[in-house]
Amino acid sequence: MKGRPVSSEPTSYERTVLKNPSEHQYLKVQLVFQREGVKLTAAQYKSLIVSAVKELHGEVGASCPLDLLKYDDKTLSAILRINSSGFVKLWTSLTLLGHYQNQECSIRVLQVSPFLLALAGNSRELVLD
Amino acid sequence: MATFMDLNIMNCTDVKKLQSIIEMAAHLGYSAVAINHVAAFEKKKAEIGKPLCPADLFPSPPTVQGKSTPIKILTRLTIIASDPSHYNSLRSTSTLTRPYDIVAVYPKTEKLFHAACTSIDVDVICINVTEKSPFFFRRPPISAAIERGIFFELIYTPAIKDSTLRRYTISNALNLMQTCKGKNIIISSGAERPLELRGPYDVATLGLLFGLSEGSAKAVLSINCRSALLHGDTRKTAFGITYTMKKPQVVEDEGSAEPVSKKAKKE
Repeated sequence: MKGRPVSSEPTSYERTVLKNPSEHQYLKVQLVFQREGVKLTAAQYKSLIVSAVKELHGEVGASCPLDLLKYDDKTLSAILRINSSGFVKLWTSLTLLGHYQNQECSIRVLQVSPFLLALAGNSRELVLD
Repeated sequence: MATFMDLNIMNCTDVKKLQSIIEMAAHLGYSAVAINHVAAFEKKKAEIGKPLCPADLFPSPPTVQGKSTPIKILTRLTIIASDPSHYNSLRSTSTLTRPYDIVAVYPKTEKLFHAACTSIDVDVICINVTEKSPFFFRRPPISAAIERGIFFELIYTPAIKDSTLRRYTISNALNLMQTCKGKNIIISSGAERPLELRGPYDVATLGLLFGLSEGSAKAVLSINCRSALLHGDTRKTAFGITYTMKKPQVVEDEGSAEPVSKKAKKE
């Protein structure tokens, strides 16, 4: 702003450039079981995810603040929020999760974004017909 | 953008199961999968048979998620080598390996690993992830393999199944990355069940865990797989000469009535 002429009137616009503004990352995930009709409460769901992180990255990885924002128990899908530093740790441990109470399962990461608003649309299936 | 591929789906006798795995791969967004035929020479005589015909498996392959194209099904041969004589089938009887799109070897000893990197005509070298690597990855064979355009394959399914195998997978992968610096790596599933498959973006993140950079982590699924496939194509043909044959088209009635010279002028 130094070299620019300063007008006497206050400007009506402001330009702000933020580098790395996002503190959190949001993930939309879905738990898939081989067998139909497995019921989980939100608390069980979160403990499943935390134990998966703990298995791969230990206590330090599990200490990263993680929130379950929205949970749908019919489709077993949820929206998670994690600090940006713990993002890769969470995603890799979700990928390597294979069992829940001796049942085969898998977590599909449907969408990932630093902004919650972006999860409203679908980025993976843009070509719909 | 290069499309995502998964170059290792275990072949099984159960066609229903294979179909469900391929359907799952298409659902997850893979544009091509390779069905892996394993030839283990533990028995006296292992046969390298004809590959499974993709047209038999699916009359119409399932469409890929996010695209309107059908999934491409390739064939791949893996030879488990624990003795130098097992390479003979690759050297002499190359007609046996010709029907396969990709030929891979799984060397059990350091000597065989060295031979596979430097002299044997293969596309992919499998890295052992189910036990502690019996030999150290030395630089000369690996740099020779990178020079020749041969790829190293890591599979991630054992890491999902068991926590001990997960430890071996990560440690062997990190050992390999130290030497090859993230070049010429492909990561594939090795899935035997549909739920063992993971989405392409999940696997790319898994690459970060194995010590790859963000760019090369995505390349292990897309660009490198494509290069391996093209390497297989040059092996099948005469190292760079591609021969295609076009079927003669049915001549239309109105075109055939006119002389050839006139028809050419019109266009």
